[in-house]
Amino acid sequence: MVKAVINGIPIEVEEGVTILDAARKAQINIPTLCKHPDLTSSASCGICVVKLKKNNRMFRACCTPIEEGMEIITHDPEIIEIRRTVVELILSNHPNDCLKCGRNNNCELQKLVADFGIREEHFDKFVRDIPKDSSTGTIVLEASKCIKCGRCVDVCQNMQDVWALSFLERGIHTRISPAGDIKLADSPCVRCGQCSEHCPTGAIFEFDETSKVWEGLMDPEKYCVVQIAPAVRVSIGESFGFQPGVNLTKKTYALLRRLGFKAVFDTSFGADVTIMEEASEFVERFVHKKGTLPLITTCCPAWVDFMEKFHPDMIDHFSSCKSPHEIMGVLSKTYFAREKKIDPEKVFMVSIMPCTAKKYEITRTDEMFASGYQDIDVVLTTRELARMVKQAGLDFAQLPEEEPDHVLGDYTGGGVIFGATGGVMEAALRTAYYLVTEKQFPKVEFENVRGLKGVKETSIKIDDTKVNIAIAHGLSNVEYVLNKIREAKKNNQPMPYHFIEVMACPGGCVGGGGQPYGVTDAIRTLRSKGLYAHDDAMKLRCSHDNPFVQKLYNEFLGKPLGKRSHELLHTDYKARPVYRK
Amino acid sequence: MEKTVFIKDTDGGTKDRTREFYTEFINQLRERKLEDKIQVVRVADVGVYNQGVVMRLLPDNFLYGQLEMANIPALIDESVVPGKRIDHLTCHHISKQMKIVLRNCGVIDPEDIEDYIAHDGYQALAKVLTEYTPEKVIEEMKASGLRGRGGAGYPTWLKWKFTREVKSDEKYVICNGDEGDPGAYMDRSVLEGDPHTVIEGMVIAAYVVGATQGYFYIRAEYPLAVDRIQKAIAQAYDYGLLGKNILGSSFSLDVDVRLGAGAFVCGEETALLASVEGKRGYPHPRPPYPAVKGLWNHPTVINNVETLANISSIMLKGGKWFSGIGTETSKGTKVFAVTGKVKNSGLVEVPMGTTLREIVFDIGGGVLNDKKIKAVQTGGPSGGVIPEDFHNIPVGYENLQKLGSIMGSGGMIVMDETDCMVDIAKFYLRFCVDESCGKCAPCRIGGTQLLNILEKISEGTAHLDDLKKMRKISFAMQKASLCGLGQTASNPVLSTMSFFEEEYKTHVVDKKCPSRRCSRLFSYSIIQEKCVKCGACYRNCPVNAISGSRESGYKISENACIRCNRCFEVCKFNAIDRG
Amino acid sequence: MKKMTKEELQKLKEGWGKEKKNWIRVGYSSCGIAAGADEVYNTLREEISKRNINIEIKKCGCVGMCYAEPLVEVNVEGAPRVYYGKVDKDIAAKIVERHVSGKMLLNDRIYDVKVNS
Repeated sequence: MVKAVINGIPIEVEEGVTILDAARKAQINIPTLCKHPDLTSSASCGICVVKLKKNNRMFRACCTPIEEGMEIITHDPEIIEIRRTVVELILSNHPNDCLKCGRNNNCELQKLVADFGIREEHFDKFVRDIPKDSSTGTIVLEASKCIKCGRCVDVCQNMQDVWALSFLERGIHTRISPAGDIKLADSPCVRCGQCSEHCPTGAIFEFDETSKVWEGLMDPEKYCVVQIAPAVRVSIGESFGFQPGVNLTKKTYALLRRLGFKAVFDTSFGADVTIMEEASEFVERFVHKKGTLPLITTCCPAWVDFMEKFHPDMIDHFSSCKSPHEIMGVLSKTYFAREKKIDPEKVFMVSIMPCTAKKYEITRTDEMFASGYQDIDVVLTTRELARMVKQAGLDFAQLPEEEPDHVLGDYTGGGVIFGATGGVMEAALRTAYYLVTEKQFPKVEFENVRGLKGVKETSIKIDDTKVNIAIAHGLSNVEYVLNKIREAKKNNQPMPYHFIEVMACPGGCVGGGGQPYGVTDAIRTLRSKGLYAHDDAMKLRCSHDNPFVQKLYNEFLGKPLGKRSHELLHTDYKARPVYRK
Repeated sequence: MEKTVFIKDTDGGTKDRTREFYTEFINQLRERKLEDKIQVVRVADVGVYNQGVVMRLLPDNFLYGQLEMANIPALIDESVVPGKRIDHLTCHHISKQMKIVLRNCGVIDPEDIEDYIAHDGYQALAKVLTEYTPEKVIEEMKASGLRGRGGAGYPTWLKWKFTREVKSDEKYVICNGDEGDPGAYMDRSVLEGDPHTVIEGMVIAAYVVGATQGYFYIRAEYPLAVDRIQKAIAQAYDYGLLGKNILGSSFSLDVDVRLGAGAFVCGEETALLASVEGKRGYPHPRPPYPAVKGLWNHPTVINNVETLANISSIMLKGGKWFSGIGTETSKGTKVFAVTGKVKNSGLVEVPMGTTLREIVFDIGGGVLNDKKIKAVQTGGPSGGVIPEDFHNIPVGYENLQKLGSIMGSGGMIVMDETDCMVDIAKFYLRFCVDESCGKCAPCRIGGTQLLNILEKISEGTAHLDDLKKMRKISFAMQKASLCGLGQTASNPVLSTMSFFEEEYKTHVVDKKCPSRRCSRLFSYSIIQEKCVKCGACYRNCPVNAISGSRESGYKISENACIRCNRCFEVCKFNAIDRG
Repeated sequence: MKKMTKEELQKLKEGWGKEKKNWIRVGYSSCGIAAGADEVYNTLREEISKRNINIEIKKCGCVGMCYAEPLVEVNVEGAPRVYYGKVDKDIAAKIVERHVSGKMLLNDRIYDVKVNS
């Protein structure tokens, strides 16, 4: 333990704690801008400077560890003046576009400028006119708003191991761009959106498609239907004053109907269907030895893109099953349209996702048009939905609770935990166990697959057979798992795992690229807890017990992995170049 | 010839009397029939300045100054012939230079390791490896008082001690040869002229801290230095002075070369480490310091070229010897690159404590064209200007800091009355803005804003409160920048503002540049009364800004004029005004 | 070359003996080369071989008088040891002819005189 004094207040913290964290014990939140709890300090903005009492030396609180006997002053007129000057300097390099910017009212720079009471701009403006890059159709890079905090580069290179973003040029000309100054769509970008999730300003933003949805809703010819992803229900409330993790499923159904959707579905139903297909796939490979092991999940499109670009040698391991919302899409334009006797061409299917990569997924291959039409018409992120709610003026907190449309709306606990890392695996195992043993799992909660550890390795017993499992979230954790497989292959050893789940975003979909801003490990945990609590409270915990799923198979699909399933619910993969052109 | 007489009028200028004195001397020798015994030579430089006509006699080594023609008979009869010294004519002069770092430069062939060995090369290493423990070396280095010569002045022994004390299987030694200061080339000359002394210093450093791998980080703009070091390393391997079991001892060291790629910021420790690791040359916050977590997170010592070049001399002659040179807090010698408006520009190595005046006038020969000295700039883009009033201050780390400058790596630029202080500040700041890595906002944006204001000042569009703004930005940059580049980029500005505030005010308020440098603040015109209409200016103007004819006379267009000064130079009638 | 021990190092040093009596050194660092040391060096070599003179010409580093490059230091028995500065190929030829051969120093070209102290 280290004893020190901050602003005259004695504190005691563990060794290695930064001054920034230690100051909280003295009830001080030192202002920061470039710091993010997920990432190591880049120490670039210079706002968190504090003073050493004995010699007036100044250094950054975010990266300097507190030492025994240190006497720190966190604020005095001189320090505040320096911080203000730094904010003014950053402002002089930033366009005055707040009113028209997507982060208006939700921007970390805006907050600092307001907190420091800056009313006048003393310095000449130096804003570089860099054209917007919307080439991916999912993420928009507006480099002229960038404050060079470095978070997106750290995220893309170190947290996600994609290396689509980097710094170009130097000095005042520094800017964020893919290497080689190419368009984002031609770079390794997998559209996971983690860059936009961590960006403090409006420099990286999701591609806003709310106007497309409004148009669809206004079109009398269109029959608008909508689905919400598991992770959305425990985070949509954050834009309306609720704590992260509060389960607002039924209010969200009500809200969507009031926006004008004719049918409200739930992606968790699609998740249940995915489990039927994928668990069956696992049984095929594991029990009947047809196909390659380990089986790797594929509901995450950013992970699929990453694999196709960087690890195409793993394609055989991939589950051919589509992601839950794509399954919902194709079912809405076949099964549902048939049921309700609606012309499928008129069905306009919108997915509300925590994810930016889903915007890319919906036109990924021809198989995303398996219904004969584009299966999903528009993907909106949680953030975009929140904006639509505000535009409509809906008082979210006061809305009543409603039910979904039961055709594609009812789900089991297994379906809803998809949003947390380990959730897909847990749901799949619940059903795989049943498919193999024809018995229900005695205890359906697998604590070992839950939690925020980057790579979780565990195993379960199905009858007397041990099934080895690995779960990775955050793309930088994938290599470890894949290398173990390659190592085993090279040395002709048995596979270290049988079943692997990968989620591109740390924490799983609850920490997705389209979720409300300000994600930290604490918030990821709260949101996941919300999902697990929801699962806990449900009567039906296993996907195979979902009566509507059973109806779907009996009346329409036949059986899992059957002909119709393969036509509609499965896809394939191919190697893609890391850099296009 | 038995004796040689060297003659030079050290006052020089247009009234150079060297030839006159020389001719008369020879005549008088002829009268005495001595012209075949004594050679008289006119020299270009005799190492003494402003002492009138100077004469040196060899082999007796008498030096005489302030000589008149009338002295010649006495000089010949009473001194040259009998070999006796004439005291009242003697010019007392001792060379102010002391070569330790540069001792072999110009003496040995840098591409021949045996030449180095013949001049005591690798003797220090042999002594250390066979007689000294690392602790004993540290003690000797502590006694010497050697401080880092890269600019920070950190005690070398302490840096080695810290690195030695960290437990690790892998440790590194890096020689920082990035030398980015404009006008500084001391390290380049050492690497080109005596590469082995730096290698020897590195091996000793590695032995002390327990390193197994050394790197030379040399900027790519020094291809000859890189080439010579590579050759020297190869030869050292050949002779068993690098590699396994050096000189038969149990100590092994591998050394390799890494190139810079055009970034001044990579001379900063943490950015240098990033660069060697193949990453973008961004500085990183310290702690952790390189001694604890350096190259690839292993303990690393980073020493400047000049620091390492001192090691072998210290270990051979002892720390006590070294600490006997210099001042109380700044021991040993320092190599300075004296450039700018000085007659003898080049490298000088002087004991710490030598004054600026001695360096510029006694060694440098004085100001070019005998103009008046205005200031001396030290420390490169991190340093400041020192006006004439302070040129008697003994040079040392603390002394220069007290004057608002720094020692830096040793750049020393002499400035005269035609140098504009605003322009000087602008030059250094522009360099820092160009070289800024861009990571932290205070340096990246602050530097640009500061430069913007300086440009306004030199264009006559600034206001007095811009001076206040400059101080505000400079303060923020000093305190909130991540690395030394940003922290010191405002030094030239603050230094020139502090010593030459009037000059700034003249630019801002009167919109005039007294030194005729800031081209927007003065214009060229023809003084018609003096003009003889010869047309010389008209013919020589490179941009045809002068119009007219021999009949009607000539006129300069202010807008087209680029202030190149050609017309002023070619006019023989002083008819060009630079108001 | 065999890897040395401390004793062998000492022997190598002593083997070089005292400094030779006659030699020429040409400044060959970046400052010298930029000022034209290459041509000077080649001229010196040519002139020496033309006259069959036995004298060593060595390339060395920068001695610090960069303003006077190309620098040539000449030490010939029977004449003082001097530095010639701002040497070009004509002066180089004269150095060999007058100083090295004839032991007569050149006027107006000497920038430093080495005194045995």
